[in-house]
Amino acid sequence: MSSTLSAPFWGVFMTYSSKSYIEEKRAYWAMILPAFTIYLLVMAFPIVLSIVLSVSNYSGGKMFGGEKWGFAGFDAYLRVFRDPWFWNALKNNIYIVLVSVFGQLPLGFIFAYFIYARIVKAPEFWQGVLYVPNIISVIVVGLLWQTIFSPHGPIAEVINSIRVREFQNQVRGIFNAAGGFSLSDDVIQKILDLVGPSGQAIFSDPLIDLRDLLSSFHGEPIEEVYNALGNLFVQKWSPTFLTKSNIAMLPILFVILWMYTGMYLILFLANMQKIDVQIVESARIDGANEGQVMRYIILPALSGTIVNAAILAISGSLSSFALVFAMTGGGPSRVTEILSIYMYNNAFLGRPNFPLANAISLIMVLISFGLILLTKAVEKRYGGKEE
Amino acid sequence: MPEMIKESKSKKILSIIGKAAVYLIMGIFAFMTLYPIFWLIMNSFKTTREFQVSQLALPKSPTLQNYVGAWQIGDFSLLFPNSILYTLGATVGIIFLSLLAGFAFAKLKSKATKPIYNSFIMGILLTTQTLMIPLFLEVNLLGIYNTRFAVLIVYIGAGLPIGIYLSTEYIRAIPSAVVESARIDGAGFFRIFLSIIVPMSVPVATTLAILNITNTWNEFALINILVSKTELKSLPLGIYKFSGSLSSDYGKQFAALTIGMVPMLAFYIIFRKQITKGVAAGAIKG
Repeated sequence: MSSTLSAPFWGVFMTYSSKSYIEEKRAYWAMILPAFTIYLLVMAFPIVLSIVLSVSNYSGGKMFGGEKWGFAGFDAYLRVFRDPWFWNALKNNIYIVLVSVFGQLPLGFIFAYFIYARIVKAPEFWQGVLYVPNIISVIVVGLLWQTIFSPHGPIAEVINSIRVREFQNQVRGIFNAAGGFSLSDDVIQKILDLVGPSGQAIFSDPLIDLRDLLSSFHGEPIEEVYNALGNLFVQKWSPTFLTKSNIAMLPILFVILWMYTGMYLILFLANMQKIDVQIVESARIDGANEGQVMRYIILPALSGTIVNAAILAISGSLSSFALVFAMTGGGPSRVTEILSIYMYNNAFLGRPNFPLANAISLIMVLISFGLILLTKAVEKRYGGKEE
Repeated sequence: MPEMIKESKSKKILSIIGKAAVYLIMGIFAFMTLYPIFWLIMNSFKTTREFQVSQLALPKSPTLQNYVGAWQIGDFSLLFPNSILYTLGATVGIIFLSLLAGFAFAKLKSKATKPIYNSFIMGILLTTQTLMIPLFLEVNLLGIYNTRFAVLIVYIGAGLPIGIYLSTEYIRAIPSAVVESARIDGAGFFRIFLSIIVPMSVPVATTLAILNITNTWNEFALINILVSKTELKSLPLGIYKFSGSLSSDYGKQFAALTIGMVPMLAFYIIFRKQITKGVAAGAIKG
């Protein structure tokens, strides 16, 4: 540009400047292009591709030179919106968004404040421990909690051992009332009453069979008698957290709360610690209580961070995949499907439906952007603080 | 006077109760965090048979058998090096490309900066996972399905937006005079980048390293659609093998989960301070 202007008068200066100008341009593009090319390949091109494919009748296979495919209108979108499973998945995603925004954020904020205001001692400990779930792979987290909520998990074991102990205490009461281990009709009958008809059903002749069983122990050691009776008669409770369709989302939401609250704690705490200590202290000297310090100093100072965190939570919630994939895989019978799994299954399970899957992908991108714009608008209106 | 004392006394009692409640709530949360991890590691040393009988007690005779079995079934001797390669490759790539582009955005003049930089910022909001179907089709179209190259490119692309944002903001804060005086001394832009900008950007590079090492090591959704060959898989994919039909072999499943968890736990214990700082710095959107 400047080289065309080079007049004799400016000659020497201009050649130097334009040479430098060209060098700067070259360096600029050499530095930007590697990153930008990769970025276009990984983010921009897939979006374009999904726009194209979502309105096509592409059915897999070679994209060029294979089967012919072309424009098919907005069929895929209509089918998505008419599919009750789409709305089910969207509903589940909304649950996750709600738990993130109204669960993780407030809890993380409150915990951060407890640490910040020195209400609890050992700040490093709490911060360090509560963040731990974030660094573990979601696959590990998903499978771990799947087992914890399963009939073979610690929850079932604790509840069953309580049940067994309760039963054994009742049996102990019966023996104590009879003055020790006894095989009298009265004692046997009382145990059978305690066991109830479902327990008695394992015997052909309850009174005789139970007496035979008990006499085989000779009353010694008595703990063994209790264990045998407990194992025999106490019905094992089998948790159905993840297999009952009307509650299967709850454990997932719990794990999401469990996993990410610590991240928001870290985020809020780091920003609370940026607040000038003197402001808080002088407010306290002037007689402000905890509530006032929170209302007039900490909340305004963190409004930007809170909006940031909300956006982070929303975009993270909408795109979450691996946790549910590992924990339930969308089951039982699809009730815990979220959008990403709904999309994944349409593309990879059974006969692939790529137009549909790409339509879902785009819908997710649009929902994400829409919600983020909404949060931004809310912030502009009520947040007060410009970023 | 006495009333005031009374009031302060009741206030004190109230604050003690409040404190106890705070400790209780946070204690429950901390317990819920630590106990499952402890429970998992402890049970990974039991045989499946012992686990089925007692899940809460410590193992009677700890065994490493589960680890041997899990290591073989999960092909972890193949997956471990892959995970290291993907993590290091993506992290180094993201840091280098981010600093390079960040330097150009921050210190070199161009009208292109605004639109290109903003497009990167938009990418922060976009999660690559939502694009996994078109990405899958794209790598097939390009003929790079089942290659380490595709995994690295996708990981780098996914990490670039936040990397470029942090690098550009950081390098902008470096005084332009530093660059200008080096220019007057005749240094080229790449020379300036390597000998001035890179050494000065160690803090932001550390933040990026922290963010990307944890993200990449644990990543599942994308690599799941990018490779299907065992030789190319990463640890999370190998661990996922232990769900489904293998999940009733609890001993091995727990060993596999522990193998997947321990490297990051160790990383966290060593670099806790930097990780915490990096997370707080990296949790931003445009």
